[in-house]
Amino acid sequence: MTQLKYLILVSRQGKIRLKKWYTAMSAGEKAKIVKNLTPTILARKPKMCNIIEYSDHKVVYKRYASLFFIVGVTPDVDNELLTLEVIHRFVETMDTYFGNVCELDIIFNFNKVYDILNEMVMCDGSIAESNKKEVLHHVTVMDTMESNDNLERVLS
Amino acid sequence: MGSSLRSFIKDVRGAKTLADERAIITKQSAKIRTKLRDDHLPHEKRRVNIQKLLYLYILGEKTHFGQVESINLIASDDFVDKRLGYLAATLLLDESEDLLTLLTNMLNNDLHHPNKYAVSLALTSLGFLSSPELARDLYPDVENIIKNSKDPFLLKKALQCAAKLISKDISLLEIFNIEDITKILSNHSICTHGVLLGITKILQSVLLIGLDPENGDDDDGIDYANDVLSPLSLLLRDFFTRLENLNSKNIEPGYDVQGICDPFLQCEMIYTLKLYFQVGELLNSNHVLDYKDNFCDLLTRIATNTDSTKNSGQAILYETVKAIFSLNLNQPLRVLGVSILAKFLVGKDNNTKYVSLNTLLKVVPQEPTAVQRHRKFISHCLQDNDISIRMRALELSFAILDNSNLVDLIDELMKFLAKQDEDSKDLIIYTIDHLIDTFDTHTVKDENWKLDVFLNVLKLVGPFINYEKINDILIIINNTAQLSDKCNFLRKLLIISLDEKSMGISDENIGWRLVLIWCIGEYCDLLLNDNNESNAKIINESSITNYLLTLQECYTTTNHKIINYILTTALKLSIKLQGPKNIEKLRQVILGYADSTDLLLQMKSNQYEILFNQPVSVKRIVLETMPKFEKVAEKQENVKKTSKNPVSNEPADLLSDFLNDDNKTEAIAATDNNVGPTDLLEEIFGEKKDTKRPLKNGKEESIDQPLPASADSNVILPSNAAKIHDSASLNVYATLLSANSGLAHIELFFQAKSIISDLQTFCAVPKAQKLTLGQLHPSSTIRANQICKQSLKISGSGKLKLRVKLDFHLDGSPSTTNEQFDHKFDTTL
Repeated sequence: MTQLKYLILVSRQGKIRLKKWYTAMSAGEKAKIVKNLTPTILARKPKMCNIIEYSDHKVVYKRYASLFFIVGVTPDVDNELLTLEVIHRFVETMDTYFGNVCELDIIFNFNKVYDILNEMVMCDGSIAESNKKEVLHHVTVMDTMESNDNLERVLS
Repeated sequence: MGSSLRSFIKDVRGAKTLADERAIITKQSAKIRTKLRDDHLPHEKRRVNIQKLLYLYILGEKTHFGQVESINLIASDDFVDKRLGYLAATLLLDESEDLLTLLTNMLNNDLHHPNKYAVSLALTSLGFLSSPELARDLYPDVENIIKNSKDPFLLKKALQCAAKLISKDISLLEIFNIEDITKILSNHSICTHGVLLGITKILQSVLLIGLDPENGDDDDGIDYANDVLSPLSLLLRDFFTRLENLNSKNIEPGYDVQGICDPFLQCEMIYTLKLYFQVGELLNSNHVLDYKDNFCDLLTRIATNTDSTKNSGQAILYETVKAIFSLNLNQPLRVLGVSILAKFLVGKDNNTKYVSLNTLLKVVPQEPTAVQRHRKFISHCLQDNDISIRMRALELSFAILDNSNLVDLIDELMKFLAKQDEDSKDLIIYTIDHLIDTFDTHTVKDENWKLDVFLNVLKLVGPFINYEKINDILIIINNTAQLSDKCNFLRKLLIISLDEKSMGISDENIGWRLVLIWCIGEYCDLLLNDNNESNAKIINESSITNYLLTLQECYTTTNHKIINYILTTALKLSIKLQGPKNIEKLRQVILGYADSTDLLLQMKSNQYEILFNQPVSVKRIVLETMPKFEKVAEKQENVKKTSKNPVSNEPADLLSDFLNDDNKTEAIAATDNNVGPTDLLEEIFGEKKDTKRPLKNGKEESIDQPLPASADSNVILPSNAAKIHDSASLNVYATLLSANSGLAHIELFFQAKSIISDLQTFCAVPKAQKLTLGQLHPSSTIRANQICKQSLKISGSGKLKLRVKLDFHLDGSPSTTNEQFDHKFDTTL
């Protein structure tokens, strides 16, 4: 099963593009994780396996184009192979939403990315919805509601 | 600088230098702070500023000044405000924040909002931000949705949220009603995969409470086994059917992952079922355990039917294997599990190899022979390009090593060592450490072969071996029974060193050189006296002396450690060689350091010179071949000896003691077990004692080797072992050998009261710790009053706690006896 501890999106240059924490940690711990993991993962060679051990937990990462998706998981509980599928699902969903997603889409629309993520992964870091269409449907309905709000305001 | 979020992001990205970037961020941050303070700021502007604040959050900047503003946004009637407000709250706040009380009311309102998306936002956020207080206050509202809503979307969210709330405040179990879940499951139209995922989550929360030993005592008035577990078990059949259907059919394209139907839900269900049986066994609940056979059958079908070629299928198989071994299901299933993992090793994908090796390592104690059967695949992974795969394969190789495969596995390890370079230094050191341990614990008949192994090791990776391990290797050489084997070893060393000086061994290979120099000092007379010596052209007194001289020149400024060894060897050779010319050369070597700037060398040189000039009869006694070193008693008596040993205190007296009374010195040499042979001579002269001792001690405390077999198979219970479990069939004792820097080493001793066979031990440690379980030694069958031992290594942090489960057959009876107990150590890692 999956129970993510955190998800961090990092560019090839080591810039943080998105981060989401699913377990309570102190600001110091969070900063340390980001600081230590980024160079380690950027230095990994392409053919190496996507699972590494870090501190008391494991980290699963996967590179898509210029972005690294880094996920902390709970050892012995998490299924690392399934974690890779979760990452892939997330990428696919963004891909459909943005239409061929690229790093810039994520940089400029990070709040949309959070919206999608929150529909896919629930508060304890496990997967909330396995149907991609279902996720996208609800995100777009909420998007429409937002623009309706705006419309109403203009009309009134 | 523009005012939109987009232009802010662009500005930050466009910054030429880090200082520029900092300036932009600081300026913008101050601006946001002022803007948000303005009560009359229009909503649209407010949103832009909160969005910018979130961007600052991603960049890792301070955002605390906007927390209250985000919460205020939630109260807005506009959906667009609400959505952003909740997003900001979930990102900027966390469960510990005092501000959460501000949220209670807003969440409460939104949970009753007419718009379902407002409700869903509130549910999601409540999940993220649930403090125990919020959990208690708002659970009834969430439960209300679970009871009444017919919308799968809301149900899913409410179930997820409830799962989190229950885990936050376990007293909610009293209110939690399993019938709500049964009702949802019976309504086909609302039971989407999302809802099912939510249900698995809520069940996991409830089951995990049952599994936590701290909730074991029903002080909350909940009788877990009867009030919670037995109604929960009514869902088992339903779960079996659903999982079976999911696994065998794949009709819904929305859930398809590489031809597998919803691997996410399948894995969650397998995991949930596993928890069911874990709790069932813990509480010995027949309501659950009656279904165990059904579960085994189901897992067998999943294991055989799931497509193992794609990652999604492998994920399900992996989850299945995890369930099999954490429940320690029947042996055919365990063997099936091992063969699934072995199949993972064959593929090209490194991730499956990784999880497979990792899991195999954990299951070795449960199914040693099944894992050993796949030795070829494991050895194959030793040659993988990925260093983390090689490391795992290495650990596993040593874990499955026993007398039956010792020779083959070590051959593989030699092939492995041959291919390693500087980058994999850690792996090399690991291999050497464990190789030495292996030869300590396993008796090898063919000692010649054993020495060849070390010859090979020195040749391949000599430069990477540290001095401490070289001492261990020297002990092994010294303890070899047959003189002829030692002779052979030295002959091979010399032939390689002398014959191919140019290409054989590089000057960096200190390990090789040290061993060679030491062996010359110890055994060269045997070699030279050997009448059949066919290599006399290469190996003779002069060639050896000259070689020693060359080495001395080579290292004279660079490595004083080697020079120390050379001096001792030169002294020893003075009684082993015949030719006066060579002996004089050796004397010159020793004299050469009489005024060395290195104090140690200087002392040694002067003392050796005195000894050198003694009559041969005196020297013979002093320079006698090293006695055999016993490592058995070293652990218990270690502390006593260090303090008592006179050597370190009275160096000057000792020399005279030594020369006058060789009986006494013999005694010291024989009892002083834990000192490397080369050090012994130095020690007798009272030098280096202080620097040496802590080093050895350090080693003994951090050792990860099992206690060397004493008298082959009889394990002796150490005097400091504490009894941690006592039952009709056996006593269990534990000793904490070491616990520092996040690593603890524990040994368990099982003392049988009557005959125990097929003993299997399962140990669990808290989540923050990792456990490596050694094999049972000497065997899993224990006769009455005999003791069997197992070593445990725990790494991580937190209190040292163990839960131990034992499965065994008593007095040869065919049925398995189970025992379980917990033990807390007083130590914290």
